[in-house]
Amino acid sequence: MSDLKIIKLVKNFVGMDRPAVNNVNLKINSGELVAFLGPSGCGKTTILKMITGLFAPDNGDIVLDNKSLLPIPTEKRGVVMVFQNYLLFPYMNVNENVGFALKMKGIDKNVIEKKVREMLDLVKLPDIGFRRPKQLSGGQQQRVALARALIASPRLLLLDEPLSNLDAHLRDEMRDLIVTIQKELNVTTIFVTHDQEEAVLLADKIALIFDGELQNYTSPKNYYEQPKNIKAAKFFGGVNFIKSKKINNEFISDIGKINYVGENINDLNDEINITVRPENIKLSKTNDFDHNSFKGNIKSIIFSGTHTRYKIIINNLELECSLQSLGIKNINQGDEIFVHLPKDKIWGMND
Amino acid sequence: MGGERLKIILSLTPPLLIIITLFFGGIFYGFLQSLGYQPAIGKYDINFSAYYNVMFSERYSKLFWTGLGLNLWVSFASTFLAAVFALFGALAIRKTFFAKTVCNFIYSLNLPMPHLVVAVGMIFVFSQSGLLARFASQLGLINSPGDFPVLVRDKYGFGIILAYIWKEAAFFFIILMSVLQSLGENFEELAQSLGANRWQRFRYVILPLVMPNLFSASIIVFAFSFGAYEVPALLGVIYPQMLPVMAFEFFLNPDLNARSEGMALSIIIALIVMILVVFYFWLTQAKIRKD
Ligand SMILES: Nc1ncnc2c1ncn2[C@@H]1O[C@H](COP(=O)(O)OP(=O)(O)OP(=O)(O)O)[C@@H](O)[C@H]1O
Ligand SMILES: [Mg+2]
Repeated sequence: MSDLKIIKLVKNFVGMDRPAVNNVNLKINSGELVAFLGPSGCGKTTILKMITGLFAPDNGDIVLDNKSLLPIPTEKRGVVMVFQNYLLFPYMNVNENVGFALKMKGIDKNVIEKKVREMLDLVKLPDIGFRRPKQLSGGQQQRVALARALIASPRLLLLDEPLSNLDAHLRDEMRDLIVTIQKELNVTTIFVTHDQEEAVLLADKIALIFDGELQNYTSPKNYYEQPKNIKAAKFFGGVNFIKSKKINNEFISDIGKINYVGENINDLNDEINITVRPENIKLSKTNDFDHNSFKGNIKSIIFSGTHTRYKIIINNLELECSLQSLGIKNINQGDEIFVHLPKDKIWGMND
Repeated sequence: MGGERLKIILSLTPPLLIIITLFFGGIFYGFLQSLGYQPAIGKYDINFSAYYNVMFSERYSKLFWTGLGLNLWVSFASTFLAAVFALFGALAIRKTFFAKTVCNFIYSLNLPMPHLVVAVGMIFVFSQSGLLARFASQLGLINSPGDFPVLVRDKYGFGIILAYIWKEAAFFFIILMSVLQSLGENFEELAQSLGANRWQRFRYVILPLVMPNLFSASIIVFAFSFGAYEVPALLGVIYPQMLPVMAFEFFLNPDLNARSEGMALSIIIALIVMILVVFYFWLTQAKIRKD
């Protein structure tokens, strides 16, 4: 078991006018793969370094299996970090690189050898044990780095942008490999990335971080359907935001009254933003909808191969809608159209 | 392609000619002298008797072989110790901005200081009439300054070694600082997260990473200290005598015949250094080929 709790974590650096990490709280269950997602400089690496012990937090605590990690020195935490640029020791061959952690533990040579072979098999790289890092491709180096990190069965695996140096095709392959291995070994893992798609594809949960602050921590699906705030929604491609006022338990907006049944209805303030994914909006030339139907005009139509994207103006508000393949037949720019926002697909946010 | 190459060769020819004439011309003339060819005093025959005299004659052989021993000892010891001091110094202060700046400044000042000045400084501080001796006797640690251990002009070359350490550590330090800077701390942090303690990080990460640079700097320092004259001349004793001093005394000899011996000895010194350098290149090349 390796349950990780990050509690009110704070880190300041001299020369920065805001904390690099500001009051971050989150809990990762044993065996979960969690992605830290956020733009460059938001503090992802800084959090990882505090978990490994390479940085000491200014405040807060990091608890693994109900025991604080803070008093334990890095080398005894059993928390292994894989760096973005692989960092294979250039003066060691692959076998020696992979066996490093066991050698540091003073484990018997034959045992190390056997374990190294196992790890290289696991990352699908048998037969290259005697090569030097320089003789490996980027993808191979990354696999060796992964094998080296996993050999001593870490309690926690931290991957700092492991895929960002790889080209697109290799990235898919490595991502799948990481997920497979992570599930097979059931090792609690944090995966840092600034690529929203990558996070969605591999994580059980995503921690979205902006400017050192945790914005949202939930499953990938929820980022699309139930984002916590506009920032989070926008980071995941959200484009439609409708300002609404709650008056007598009804939501009134510029486009009219909106029928809202979201499960967070009781937590909402008086002024909220309602969002809806472009792919969840329905369009029709005639008014066939029984609720949340609004009349607008088509501003533009863009066909992108698999989808057709419409921009629609309703009472000065612009909404984007995406329909599969060719969309609606015989419709042109400027035409009148009915827009339907299904009540189970819209989501209200306080900020 | 061929034209390009010709252009390069042609454009390199004038400087190369100058280098070849001055450098190899000088060495060649010296080599001729060492073989006894000295038209100035009417000697035209060519033989190896000067080499024989220096190494095996009754008059010089003892001086030569003890000198060679002293040379090897002084050069190895000073190079090794300077490298070790510099390495630990650099590791100790690299993370503290202030100490780093101060040390970089002091060592940068030390670098252009002539060896001669350092040698005189050694006498001033470490000799039996020097600062330390007087200070120790004032404090009553020793009865009189004469009880102070002979650290300068001693037969084991301690004074020379001290002077070289003082001087060359600066050179090592500056090289190591820039290497450590360019390596950053990522490798160490990684090793630490893989469970390496402080000693293991030094032994299995830092040392192998800085070794190539440390090694080539050592060769430079070793070659220099093996052939340099001024420090052993000032801080050494008459016997045993380091080889460059012995060579210089041959040249000072009013008897022009001794010039052949001086040249022979100089060439022996150069050969030893060259052999070591070639050995070093072979070592590193073998390593590169293996990579
Ligand atoms: N050792 C340090 N000293 C001072 N400031 C630092 C240090 N490390 C990080 N910072 C600052 O803290 C902030 C967060 O940095 P961090 O490396 O955690 O960002 P990140 O989210 O990992 O970004 P990236 O995606 O670019 O790797 C940045 O503004 C950075 O400049
Ligand atoms: Mg980072």
